Amino acid sequence: MQDYHEFLEEILVTPEQIAKRVAELGAQISADYTGKDLLVVCLLRGAITFTADLTRCLTIAPELDCMSLSSYGVGHYASSGNVRVNLDLRTNIEGRHVLLVEDIVDSGRTLSHVLTMLGTRDPASLKVCVLLDKKMRREVPAQVDYTGFDVPDKYVFGYGIDIDEYFRHLPFIATIDLKKYQKPD
Amino acid sequence: MQDYREFLSEILIDEKTLQNRVEELGAEISRDYAGEDLLLICILRGGLVFMVDLMRHITVPHQLDFMAVSSYGAGARQSGGSVRLSLDLKTDIRAKNVLLVEDIVDSGNTIAYVLEFLQTRQPRSLKVCALLDKSERRETSVPIDYRGFKIPNKFVFGYGLDLDEYYRNLPFIAVVDTDRYHPPVFENLQTRRTQKP
Repeated sequence: MQDYHEFLEEILVTPEQIAKRVAELGAQISADYTGKDLLVVCLLRGAITFTADLTRCLTIAPELDCMSLSSYGVGHYASSGNVRVNLDLRTNIEGRHVLLVEDIVDSGRTLSHVLTMLGTRDPASLKVCVLLDKKMRREVPAQVDYTGFDVPDKYVFGYGIDIDEYFRHLPFIATIDLKKYQKPD
Repeated sequence: MQDYREFLSEILIDEKTLQNRVEELGAEISRDYAGEDLLLICILRGGLVFMVDLMRHITVPHQLDFMAVSSYGAGARQSGGSVRLSLDLKTDIRAKNVLLVEDIVDSGNTIAYVLEFLQTRQPRSLKVCALLDKSERRETSVPIDYRGFKIPNKFVFGYGLDLDEYYRNLPFIAVVDTDRYHPPVFENLQTRRTQKP
């Protein structure tokens, strides 16, 4: 396995910036949902770190559930096709206040599919919190209620986001120099 | 939703103690797997917070994967009986070093089943890292290779462990005063319960 220093191009967001922003989002979400019963839905796998940290910054007591999605098309969420649910929610969201937590929104296709799908289950409200927004890549309108950081259209990793399933553990968000990166065996 | 302070009996493990121990476990795992490649498996949903913190202290190259299990028939996971896999691994674990990361081992029934099941796929190695070990409750023997804390047979919550699905987000492990705890009641509770596997 390659050392990430070899292909790290630039640290986009430092651990300190992440901690500060996550705390701010936690405070804002806590204020917005005060007195309400909140269900936080973590979209596996990229959002795990963000969800674990964000929920610990909430002063309200949310319920936590997870969903795992993939695309029917070829490539990583790249197709315009439908979204396949590998793991559905255990919770019935009818009448619930739902906050979807996602790592990155780029084209907006996956997110808009998920929102449409969950919307048919008649939640009381359905909002979206994303850590990183790659606005330049947007192809369809996507509802984003809480944003961590706006980022340029670059391949990023760290803080839950992987490169070939590795490097999710890194405490910062960095961009890759693809010329220097070698895929693992 | 009830404020946890109303039914908190005691904080069993505070945030600092937890984080220090998680860091130690990460260092120990990093030493043991030095020069190797590792796959961490998280059993949803209880193990999520622990795994996220643990992986941040693991310096050897590692991948993550997830499993979700539930039990057939009535009752909780702890009640024994066969285990139903609601989400299988994305990764083929054959010839891989696998470390199963669990929040708590009590009866050991579920984890023993999962280990037996994973072993059939012939990983190179298969070990267990459990944050909490409630050994008094053990019904099936389970090898725990990395243990965060031994805890007494008390009803605990926080740091990934829930009370009726809530309070997983608290940064410490606490004991419930069951006399003062009121399970949540919602209009759609009936539907919610029947949704559960």
